Amino acid sequence: MSISTVELGLKTALGPKREGPLVGLARMLGPDHRLGFLFILPTVVLVLTLVAYPFCYAIYLSFTRKYVGVPPVFVGFDNYVKLTFDGFFQRAVINSFIFTFGSVTVKLVLGMVMALVLTTGIRWRSFWTGVLLIPWVAPTVVSALNFLWIFDYSLGVLNYMLVKVFHLLPHGVGWLSEPGTAMASVIGVNIWRGFPFFGISFLAGLRAIPAEMYEAAAVDGAGPLLRFRHVTLPGIRNIVIIVMLLSTIWTFNDFQIVYILTRGGPGGATQVIPVFTYEIAFGAQRLGEAIAVALYMLPALAAVIIVLAHYMRKGRGRA
Amino acid sequence: MNKGFAARLQLAGSYGFLVSLLVIVVFPFYWMTVTSFKGEEQMRSLVSMFWPSPVVTDNYRHLLGKTEFVAWFGNSVIVSVSSTFLATAIGTIGAYALARLKFLGRAFMSSAVLITYLVPPSILFIPLYAQIRTLGLADSLGGLIAAYPSFTIPFVTWLLMGYFESIPVELEEAAMIDGATRFGAFRRIILPLAAPGVLAAGLYAFTQSWNEFLYALVFITNVKLRTLPVGLSSFITGDVYGWGYLMAGAVLTTLPVIVAYIYLQKYMVEGLTAGSVKG
Repeated sequence: MSISTVELGLKTALGPKREGPLVGLARMLGPDHRLGFLFILPTVVLVLTLVAYPFCYAIYLSFTRKYVGVPPVFVGFDNYVKLTFDGFFQRAVINSFIFTFGSVTVKLVLGMVMALVLTTGIRWRSFWTGVLLIPWVAPTVVSALNFLWIFDYSLGVLNYMLVKVFHLLPHGVGWLSEPGTAMASVIGVNIWRGFPFFGISFLAGLRAIPAEMYEAAAVDGAGPLLRFRHVTLPGIRNIVIIVMLLSTIWTFNDFQIVYILTRGGPGGATQVIPVFTYEIAFGAQRLGEAIAVALYMLPALAAVIIVLAHYMRKGRGRA
Repeated sequence: MNKGFAARLQLAGSYGFLVSLLVIVVFPFYWMTVTSFKGEEQMRSLVSMFWPSPVVTDNYRHLLGKTEFVAWFGNSVIVSVSSTFLATAIGTIGAYALARLKFLGRAFMSSAVLITYLVPPSILFIPLYAQIRTLGLADSLGGLIAAYPSFTIPFVTWLLMGYFESIPVELEEAAMIDGATRFGAFRRIILPLAAPGVLAAGLYAFTQSWNEFLYALVFITNVKLRTLPVGLSSFITGDVYGWGYLMAGAVLTTLPVIVAYIYLQKYMVEGLTAGSVKG
């Protein structure tokens, strides 16, 4: 028997058996699976340990009675049922919706105007965009503290200007200490911080619309309003939806601004869900109940995330 | 003629809008800077409201000498820099894999990264706190360095996926035809091209970590181990606090971010528009 026949024999004997499943497996795993798996492994590990596991653990905890340092006791839907009839929780839900809706609507309008203005024949466009983006880049804690100081009743600059400089009011307003103005004030700060993100995103969208479309519309005799309706709006529709949903999630979960400015006060007037969650967890030490507060809106949040993810992937696909 | 007038009016309106927006945006920063140079007495008497007179540096001296501010600054630097390096390194290779390589589960993992990016920290902070305690990382900067990638990695990955997708595939193919391995093509051709995107992503990860408040508030109880956001805000829960040194702290907390931003604004704006909301 020559070597080549042995080889041939081995090949026919072992070849299909040994290579077949491996090739099939490799094909199933994908042509780049070695480097792909290697590159994605750290992300997978971190996402599993830092997000997926805690998230599942959160759902489990919400069905338990759990205090800090004590093992959880399973109580079924007790926490959720209790919350449903809790006046403080109901108020936090309503406040969260007012806070979110008020903030997002104004941010949307301001951001849109900002983007439209910056696409007209404005000079130093990059200067304007650069400066207007600062509230969004600056640390939130700094912005919140700045406004805490600006809103100060006796020494704050806002009351000083309204009363002493412009004589618009006979006396100062307790911006953050009066229930009537506290919510408007925290919404105002959230808008101040968040509108640049809307503006800059819309600007990016507007600049992606080809100029020929406007020219064609103008040739067809469409005025500015018609052009806005039929060229601009369809052109940035996706971005508007994405930015709005993204901001809705962020605003609804904004902890810092409300926590620093009012801690949910006065008398619960600005109590929102994230701050309420924190207070139940670390003020009252009731972790199980606290996590139920955070998760109560999960179905709604999940719906927003699914729609948002759909649009973000769609946006990606076109790019 | 009428049309020219309307156009000019529109332009004037545009500038008017931008200038008023500019005032609203810049004023709080101006105000904090002015306040940081005012003496306690001047603030109380409401004289020379819009300019410090005399200009004093007491607030900065008090802040740096008599509070834990310097330690907090150091903590913030350690936490932000380490978690940024971690997130950028892991996020970059992850994004490349998801954007370019073909392997089983890629589509599922892209969706997972996106959804992870959208899960809010207000849901995760309690279970993460429990986990950090079990690992013995409660009350340590290590706990924060470990936790921050939970929001920076999905963000960096998502942003850079867009960036990698915008680099023509032909460049890698050409390199591989010339004999480079897949990894070689990534390292020598794609990575240098993606450098501006990686830089932007890193900067965002840095500003997000520098900004983070909730985890730092919950995980850390030792005063000396606080990060800047929590440390600064803890001034207002103390019985006696002066706006002067609080604002001095605010100025010093903003500076690193603003300096980075001024130098790298172009990349940041580009990165933001390329990454998070391309549509």
